[in-house]
Amino acid sequence: MSNNAIAVQSVTMRFRMNSDRILYLKDFVTTALRGKLRYQEFTALDEVSFQVTKGETLGLIGRNGAGKSTLLKVIAGILKPTAGSVRCHGNIVPMLELGSGFDMDLTGRENIFLNGAILGYGEEFLLEKYEEIVVFSELGEFIHTPIRNYSSGMLARLAFSVATVVQPEILIVDEILSVGDTAFQEKSQRRMQELMGGGTTVLFVSHNLKQVREMCSRVLWLDHGKVKLLGNTQEVCDAYEDNH
Amino acid sequence: MGRWTGRAAGVQKPAAYPKKLYRRLSVLLLLGYLAGVVLFYFLAGDQLHFRESRGNIELPAATGGTAELSAGITVEQRFLVKIDRLERLEIQWGTYYRPNAGTVLAELRDLQDGRTVLSGSFDAAAIPEGGLTALTAPSPIEGLYGRVLALRISSPDGKPGSSVSPLMSTAESVAEGELLIDGVPTGGVLCFRAHGSDYIWTGIHYWKLAAAGLLLLALLLLIIRQRSRRGKGSYILNAVLAVSRYRFLIRQLVSRDFKTKYKRSVLGMFWSFLNPLLMMCVQYFVFSTIFKSDIPNYAVYLLIGIVSFNFFSEACGMALGSIVGNASLITKVYMPKYIYPLTRVISSVVNLGISLIPLVIVSLATGVQFRKSAVLALYFLACLIIFSLGLGLLLASAMVFFRDMQFLWSVLSMLWMYATPIFYPESILPENLRGVLQINPLYHFLKSFRLCILGGISPEPMVYVQCMLMALGALIVGAVVFRKAQNRFALYL
Repeated sequence: MSNNAIAVQSVTMRFRMNSDRILYLKDFVTTALRGKLRYQEFTALDEVSFQVTKGETLGLIGRNGAGKSTLLKVIAGILKPTAGSVRCHGNIVPMLELGSGFDMDLTGRENIFLNGAILGYGEEFLLEKYEEIVVFSELGEFIHTPIRNYSSGMLARLAFSVATVVQPEILIVDEILSVGDTAFQEKSQRRMQELMGGGTTVLFVSHNLKQVREMCSRVLWLDHGKVKLLGNTQEVCDAYEDNH
Repeated sequence: MGRWTGRAAGVQKPAAYPKKLYRRLSVLLLLGYLAGVVLFYFLAGDQLHFRESRGNIELPAATGGTAELSAGITVEQRFLVKIDRLERLEIQWGTYYRPNAGTVLAELRDLQDGRTVLSGSFDAAAIPEGGLTALTAPSPIEGLYGRVLALRISSPDGKPGSSVSPLMSTAESVAEGELLIDGVPTGGVLCFRAHGSDYIWTGIHYWKLAAAGLLLLALLLLIIRQRSRRGKGSYILNAVLAVSRYRFLIRQLVSRDFKTKYKRSVLGMFWSFLNPLLMMCVQYFVFSTIFKSDIPNYAVYLLIGIVSFNFFSEACGMALGSIVGNASLITKVYMPKYIYPLTRVISSVVNLGISLIPLVIVSLATGVQFRKSAVLALYFLACLIIFSLGLGLLLASAMVFFRDMQFLWSVLSMLWMYATPIFYPESILPENLRGVLQINPLYHFLKSFRLCILGGISPEPMVYVQCMLMALGALIVGAVVFRKAQNRFALYL
């Protein structure tokens, strides 16, 4: 068995979109009848290959629309690549969005279980960690009120606490998540650093080059769906900065 | 370890070699099958072995009387028996619209060996105009199939002027039928009917069939085992594996649906209970005057229709929007996409379960006697659920690509509602529309459901196979389409 946590092998992601996004049967029929049904190919990822070794923190940089988010989604299994393959060894926790599936009508407690289940946690695990989540989120008694009454800061705290309660083997992060007031921001930064240290393989997308330089051992520069440069942090970040 | 090996850290184990699961599945399936087979044998009762005979002779419409049945006069009708087990014979009488007296004798004789098969005598004074007298066999008479019988009617003490007359019809005829009035062959046929039942091959070969099924099941399990050993995996095992892995998630999503549905209503889940009841009341008052006479226990008839169709339309409607409605989740978190429509259908099943309570209450209140066949109604509910799931998968995938699917569906489901005998009896449909019923799976589920509850008997064994085939057909089509389409969902949301 290799030492790779993630092996991405010539992944190509092509979207076939009809030019004006037909979403209605009516439109589909009328355009098809007029013979104007055209599809546009859009290549979001083009033959992307790289490996991430266990325990490594790989930074992912590139401009907007370079395909970073698409790549993360492909690795997380949300999108299926048009060609190529992704192999992951270990459990992936994709932190692409916080609070997925939160239901405004349910209480904080109910949402911890719902959101936890959606993130793939088991029941015993959640029961065991419930107290920890509540304590970390600093919600106290509010945990028993419906979350529609929460402030946005409270929501973010709850979501962050649920998402980061696990110790994943592979962590996929889209921008460093720091939420809430200043005190909680520091706390959540620390939690993120804890998660990203300690042998976890991290795939980390950020526009903040300073953060990338601090945290990553290697960096992948993605440009228009292609790998522009892959190498050690110093080298790639410098090249990226020169380019802009 | 391979592609997409699950997600969350150290929490849920990734798919291990499913040996334990396989073993549990096999034992469960085999035991379930055996229990089902034995249970069905007892629950289905007589309907497993016999069905209403296809050779039943129906009562012809009377056109006149045969002869006044005074002493010494005999009326004899011969006919060919096409019934395996003869149970009942009825004769229709004319009274000349006057009070009559005396006794009439009816005797059924086998012409081949001269044996009297069935006989009885009736008091002529008690027979109304157009009334029927019945000869009922104490136990069904077998071995008459293919024989010609003679039904001989006479009166030992009838006097002219106060005797009844068996009616006849000149417009119809029966097989090998000959009507003799006082020994003289006459054109036409006596107004009588003969009823009985036929053997069904499923009843005769039931245990052989059951054994064959068991063998088939064992073979299937072996194939699955071979495949998964060679690392190929099989759809069935994977599906079971996924459901068992995502059980917690499914439970959470279902309980979310349930909690949010009733969260802010005072009556809470009582609504699931009340809703079909109120609908029944409204429709009962609207339609009862029109259809009541055609249907015994119209309230329960109606309620069964409402509960079933409500489930169907709710499950399909919810499944329809399940992918589009969860767009934010689908593009952000990985989980098998079929979970969304599946949980919606499960939520509807929970509602269905609740709405069965008023059904039971109304049934008991209106004097429906639950026989053992009521348990079999669950089978048809299961068919309905599987069918709805299949259709729901299909609709959910269609909805992603064509958002106007929901409008189409609302029209279609209304059409479907009227094409299903929910509040009307199927007899009101003209002959040329009966074909619509035959291709409507809901009709078959509903009819059998009603038969199990209201009729107190099981449908014919073939009906079970038919219903399951329709349900599984829908599920397979839905699942295949969904599977093919699901990789493109994220692109269209």
